[in-house]
Amino acid sequence: MVDAKKARETREPVVGENVVRVDGAAKVTGGARYVDDIPPMPGELHGATVRSRVPRGILRAIAFDPSFDWSDVTVVTAKDVPDNVVQLIVDDQPVLAAERINHMYEPVVLLACSDKAKLARAYAAVTLDIEPLPAVFDMEESLAAETVIWGEANVQNRYLITKGAADTDESEAAIDVAIAACEVVVRGSYSTHHQEQLYIEPNGMIAWWDEAGAHATGSLQCPFYVHKAFKRCFHLEPEQIHITQAVTGGGFGGKEEYPSLIALHAALLAKKSGRPVRIIYDRVEDIEATTKRHPSRSWIESGCDRDGTLRALKMRVMMDAGAYVTLSPVVLSRGVLHAGGCYRWADVRIEGIGVATNTPPNGAFRGFGAPQTIWAIERHLDAVARQLGLDAGELKVRNMLVEGDTTSTSQTLRGSVGGTECVERAFEASDYLARRRAGPSVLGRKARGLGCAVFMHGGGFTGSGERMLKGKVAVDLLAGGRLEIRSGSTDIGQGTETVFAQIAADAAGIPFEHVSVAVPSTTHVPDSGPTVASRTVMVVGAIVERAAKELAARVEASRRPGETFAAAGDRLLAKEGPQSALVQYEPPAWVNWDDKKYKGDAYPVYAWMCDVAEVEVDLDTFEVKVLNFWSAADVGKAIHPLMCKGQLEGGSLQAIGWALSEEVVWKAGAIVNPRMTNYIIPTALDAPPFETFLVEAPYEHGPSGGAKGIGELPMDGGAPAVAAAVEHATGLIINHLPLTPERLFAAWLNSEAAQ
Amino acid sequence: MSLADLSRYEFARPASLDAACRLLSDREKKGARTVLLAGGTDFMVQVSQGGAAEGPLPLVLDVSRIKELACVSFDGTTLRIGAGVSYLELQRDPVVREYAPLVARMTQDIGGPTIQGRGTLGGNLATASPAADGVAAIAAYDPVIEVKSSRGTRKIPIAVLQTGYKQTSRAADEVIVAVEFRAPAHGSAWCWRKVGTRLAQAISKVAFAGVAEVHDGRVTRVGFAMASVAATTALLPNTRELVRLTPLAQLTAAAVDAAVASDVSPQDDVRSTRDYRMHTAKAVVRGFLRDLGAPV
Repeated sequence: MVDAKKARETREPVVGENVVRVDGAAKVTGGARYVDDIPPMPGELHGATVRSRVPRGILRAIAFDPSFDWSDVTVVTAKDVPDNVVQLIVDDQPVLAAERINHMYEPVVLLACSDKAKLARAYAAVTLDIEPLPAVFDMEESLAAETVIWGEANVQNRYLITKGAADTDESEAAIDVAIAACEVVVRGSYSTHHQEQLYIEPNGMIAWWDEAGAHATGSLQCPFYVHKAFKRCFHLEPEQIHITQAVTGGGFGGKEEYPSLIALHAALLAKKSGRPVRIIYDRVEDIEATTKRHPSRSWIESGCDRDGTLRALKMRVMMDAGAYVTLSPVVLSRGVLHAGGCYRWADVRIEGIGVATNTPPNGAFRGFGAPQTIWAIERHLDAVARQLGLDAGELKVRNMLVEGDTTSTSQTLRGSVGGTECVERAFEASDYLARRRAGPSVLGRKARGLGCAVFMHGGGFTGSGERMLKGKVAVDLLAGGRLEIRSGSTDIGQGTETVFAQIAADAAGIPFEHVSVAVPSTTHVPDSGPTVASRTVMVVGAIVERAAKELAARVEASRRPGETFAAAGDRLLAKEGPQSALVQYEPPAWVNWDDKKYKGDAYPVYAWMCDVAEVEVDLDTFEVKVLNFWSAADVGKAIHPLMCKGQLEGGSLQAIGWALSEEVVWKAGAIVNPRMTNYIIPTALDAPPFETFLVEAPYEHGPSGGAKGIGELPMDGGAPAVAAAVEHATGLIINHLPLTPERLFAAWLNSEAAQ
Repeated sequence: MSLADLSRYEFARPASLDAACRLLSDREKKGARTVLLAGGTDFMVQVSQGGAAEGPLPLVLDVSRIKELACVSFDGTTLRIGAGVSYLELQRDPVVREYAPLVARMTQDIGGPTIQGRGTLGGNLATASPAADGVAAIAAYDPVIEVKSSRGTRKIPIAVLQTGYKQTSRAADEVIVAVEFRAPAHGSAWCWRKVGTRLAQAISKVAFAGVAEVHDGRVTRVGFAMASVAATTALLPNTRELVRLTPLAQLTAAAVDAAVASDVSPQDDVRSTRDYRMHTAKAVVRGFLRDLGAPV
């Protein structure tokens, strides 16, 4: 911990130090105002959303009970929406359903009233007349397209990655030949399920209109997404839209694209009523209606030598987009880009298909498609090892990419490749190899085993994404030599404000306490790009560093001998007026990506990680307890080691929850368990002790000495590591998530029957 | 959404058990609905999950501070636990820890510390969820449930308290005062095994409570109960009989499994499956019997 006073006097560097979080005190004392803590504005109304409650159909009529007093209830339907599209990638999702109903929780009618109890009664006084149509809930059924629910044949997206032999032939023939030529061929299929983000506070938005235009504030990750959605829906000029982030307790992707819809709903009600409107989802509505992780199915066929040298990979990944496109093409893209894992393959054919179903649109979730494909490839490598009689850990180490190797997209890794060291550290701490060789330990009716996962995760937007995005930040010089960072990147609990201040303080050579971060509001901050994709520290942090350096240099240049930085700054401000540095991100010049062939530098750099899980399985009840979890992650440079470890451990726990207990249960398109009491995330008691090691293989373009993006990384490895450990302990091979006791029991019954 | 209706509930907090009984009796005669509030851990969930309130709301009658419901006592034979004692208090109570250790252990598996601080045995018995850990634990001791109304006091054996899914034989004007049971011989074997959806804040998929007095390889007193395997708390009568009549050394896994299977009728629901529950019910009973020395 840095002694604040000492630091002010002597200016010790703060990068690499566990400074006190700038938002910590307000959060632990309850002072922080999350969206529903913001006091009501004068005349404010509560808003509610009437949803379809039919998975697919045609909206014939909306009936409002004539015996109900509607005089003080504002009603909005599709007819009131100026441009009925949620702006994102494809214009297929309406703000309010006008005719077509495509999932169970499609918003149809909006209501607002000052009295919450009356609002509840008004909600009950609306009846939707929907003619049901056959609905599709299953990916393979969707692909078969006997019932067409989206586009011409339900397929939203396809990607194809080829390398080596497969480059010559778009069909599967070339890769089939390459695989057939291998000494050992292994086939398998793997699947993953939905996951709910389950952030601290459910989604919520407050919107109002005044002479300046439209305002919205709420729980969100990406203020400029909401800004764009308003521009489109209301046909406003950019300067007429004012979107401000409220304190946000976690997003994990769940507050990336969905807040646009809620903000539009609140703004529609506010426009019609002439009053501010607050829409706060309760947990049930949030779990039912908002986005979740895309389910996936993967088929893998691979070829290798008898000694375990991997040769050829053929993989097909299918993801369930839900009813509308939202961000699914990007999720699928990130999924296929990570599908080959962190391994050396000479010949590759990876095909990705995104299909529609009549379920609420799936969306962004930490990892963004990669946890799904890394689950598949890691389980597949476990299968290859099983077939070869090798330990999976040894097989993975033998085939891991190192500097100079090429990835599935034929990208040559140019440095900052810390995977080998991660494996060494995690294996050593857990005594992995010796304990795996020793076999499971069985004590009474409990069996213990170990498993590992090795993986890499790209930082920043995929391919040419950052080049198109052109993220910007501004740093302003304030009185007293202080700096303020203006950025569209939001702190949603991950510590952005603190880390940005650390980066800027060291870049400018000023005390940490002299840097502040402005509240992200589209009116006052430049568009830094969305707070997603493990890009905030690595990409936006890099331009924070440049802007702070540039501004400090300006002050230094005008500084007189013996003058303090603060005095020089104040003199500069008095003489030349406001001082600000606006910097735009430029990816490294060598980043070369071909969007058509899906080939080249998919990401400028990758963060690496190795997880080792130790589990204990109750052989009577099939309960799985994670006893220990060792990780080592190459983060480039840890700017705030404690928060960095916090991100890694939190992400691993989220992955463990996904693996063992989290499951969205569906019945005819409806979610049966939309509550925290039956959607089972781990509690503190379920969390294993984590032992986490930071490896630093600096990335030359990362801020503060080489930081890489790590927000998503830890989500990738927990599930395959736990599944491998369960297999080690019990011999039960589970390739389909989640590993609930019920599924383990069913697998055990099958294995008993087979014997 | 109907949490917004909470402020519209009428609320009364009688000073004594007699006053509560009188108030209940008066309202009953008028046909007015009353809800008894102890820890509120079920009631608050009902309010927040209910739809828009229809018709007159019930009176909320808070019994949580009535002294007669708050005591734990032991007379050398019978343990009496007040219906209003919180699970946290039971967890810490030296008498309960000594003479009904199963109950003290069970309380650690209820919800989390905040729920343990509010939830009560009386509330669990009244709402009669078959998933209630508290009911299963206490049922293994074969207690009677003392209820009181302005008409008088009666003691209901646990076996006839629950009449169906979330239904009890308690009359609408009766207040659950206490549970009483003869404590097993000091130091007797017991077992509490909750199989929940996670380690805290979990509703049981299966929870098993067992107490046994063993003499010379025979079980002379046995109490079994199980949560979440039937419409009511399962008392496993056939399994109890098998264990009482068979020397431990002669018990077989097959016989135990058959007895358990005849005693439970689990269902598929959002938390688990019928098959898993059946398997687990057998496994946890056998686990306890193994600890007693049975070769199962």
